[in-house]
Amino acid sequence: MNKKIAISREAILGGILVAFIVILALTTNFATTSGIYSFLLDVSPTIVAAIGLGMLIFTGNIDISAGTISGFVAYTAGALVKEGAPMILFVPAALAVGTLLAGLNGFITVKFKVPSIVVTLAMNMVHIGFYATFLPQSGWIENLGADFTWFGRARLFDIVPYTFIVAALVIVVAAFVMKYTRFGRALYAVGGNQTSAVYSGIKPGATVMKVFFVEGFLIAVSALLRAMTRNEVMPSVFIGRELFFIAAALVGGISIFGGSGKIVGAALGAGIVYLLSIAMIYFGLQDYYQFALQGAIILIAVYITVADFGKIRKGLQRRFRKRAAATENTGASS
Amino acid sequence: MSAAQISRKFRLSRLVSHQSVLLLVLILLVVVFGIVEPVFFRPRVLFDVFAIVGEVGLMALAMTYIISTGGVDLGVGYNLQMAGIVFGVVWGATASVPLAIILALAVSTLAGMFNGLVISRTKIPPLVTTLATMYLFRGISMIIAGTRTFTGFPDSFSAFSNTDLFGVLPIQAIYLLVAFVVMDYFYERGSLGRNLKGLGFNEKAVIFSGVNARRIKFGIYTLIGLLAGVAALIYLGRLSAAKTSMGDYLNFEVITAVLLGGTSIMGGVGSMRGTFIGVLIIGVLKKGFTLLNFSGNIYNFTLGVILILSLIAFSLEQQRQAKAGRERGAAEEAPVPQT
Repeated sequence: MNKKIAISREAILGGILVAFIVILALTTNFATTSGIYSFLLDVSPTIVAAIGLGMLIFTGNIDISAGTISGFVAYTAGALVKEGAPMILFVPAALAVGTLLAGLNGFITVKFKVPSIVVTLAMNMVHIGFYATFLPQSGWIENLGADFTWFGRARLFDIVPYTFIVAALVIVVAAFVMKYTRFGRALYAVGGNQTSAVYSGIKPGATVMKVFFVEGFLIAVSALLRAMTRNEVMPSVFIGRELFFIAAALVGGISIFGGSGKIVGAALGAGIVYLLSIAMIYFGLQDYYQFALQGAIILIAVYITVADFGKIRKGLQRRFRKRAAATENTGASS
Repeated sequence: MSAAQISRKFRLSRLVSHQSVLLLVLILLVVVFGIVEPVFFRPRVLFDVFAIVGEVGLMALAMTYIISTGGVDLGVGYNLQMAGIVFGVVWGATASVPLAIILALAVSTLAGMFNGLVISRTKIPPLVTTLATMYLFRGISMIIAGTRTFTGFPDSFSAFSNTDLFGVLPIQAIYLLVAFVVMDYFYERGSLGRNLKGLGFNEKAVIFSGVNARRIKFGIYTLIGLLAGVAALIYLGRLSAAKTSMGDYLNFEVITAVLLGGTSIMGGVGSMRGTFIGVLIIGVLKKGFTLLNFSGNIYNFTLGVILILSLIAFSLEQQRQAKAGRERGAAEEAPVPQT
């Protein structure tokens, strides 16, 4: 990278995030204890899921079924609590469900060499059909009680929800894994250049398989963080959540071509995407503006990562110079 | 294995082609549904399959072009929805059907052109581009429509979708056949089909041979946009209600039909005939499930499973062919590629 523009993408994202918070704090009642608490509470699941999807996107894969997997995770937890299972039992079970469902996506992707986007698109449909067809009452379970909700609603110093502490832990651990472990470097290698990854002794198939499991685990954590704040679970509320996760990861600078991006970026991206949606609500825009906005955000974020701005600038300069020369010529001849 | 044995095996595998298996599946499905629910065999009911798949069929034909190049259009269903909503709004505001038709087609074609522009001019892959525009088009159609549903279109408009030829054959069958014949001709005979598959197989080689890849890509995404608009009109003629759920799951149906038909999601290999049969299989499933009073969710679930299974089957088939090709390469010395 050029020395002159050595400000990192993460610093820019952080700046945008702070600017957003300042604007919201000045114009709304955002900067109160309850405003900050509810922001941290709502953004935590998106942070965790964006990191999971970010790690997957590092390797050039994607998971469109992340939203519907979350639904299964929430249902599993809710159904077990209703049967009287303690937290020590239902949390691991729910995490296992998410991990295995994502693992199935990974298995089909790796084993049969099918693009993950199509596999997970089909899986998304299978999941949605499954909710309505096979789960009792489409998976709706109510009156779960404090056994289920105490963790999601607990807070530290009245302002920091426990869910955000989990999200912060995930950021730290994921950033550490990406930077200092063999697995993390393998992710960068597989996304960056498969051939050289193979020559340096990394098995791309096994790495992708592992990252699907990790993604599924993080999606499950995210689903639990969200589900456990409410007294009921309804799998279908998670349909379409993947849009936020993907947008957050891409805004955070995770390259769809794999091999570049940072965990912190994905977390900051989650914050920005989430604040944008809060801002829309504050400005009185309807919920369905979300789809158009997130779609546009994804497109713009990806364009910024792929565009070769140096080339574009040179092309424009050449065009202007040509035009200037043309007007000069006509001016001289007339 | 001797060379003669292997070549016999090859001839056999060519005889049992993907399309003939598909055709067999189609006939089997019809027979099974007919046995379970004999009313299915009535011509009026059986041919209704064409009316059901009119929209999906048109888009699937164009999608075959796109998937052959290694691309995809995930947002095609919501492009249809956007065109349908625009038709409803314009019809509601001006009561002019021609104006509504023109504007609906213009919007869907422009949406297709936008996809084509982004895909042919930037390095953003088609999957990501159309994933983003899928949400974008869906959002735009929801913003335009709000919670409104547009109904009450005139009979003169619905006649384009609800006419039966000879009292039994829905007019969609004719639309589909004409589109199929024209597009199959360009796919199988002209240079276009060769270039499309070439782009999916080895894009650089095609570009170096002097083909304007950008123009082809721009063209096929524009084409699917236009056809999504036409499909929206046919849809509205049949069901006469434009609402913000009309595009849900359509992209699954279209992509499933194409992949079922034997077109590789990686590009380079494709078949319009396969797509046509794939579309009919989807139609028979949908009609059969409706007759058996299965819910739309069971249909979606089944379709998702079928899509995954066809992806796996196709991948296994390719791996088998690659293996057979290696064996043949070892058996016959220096195989000469035949074109």
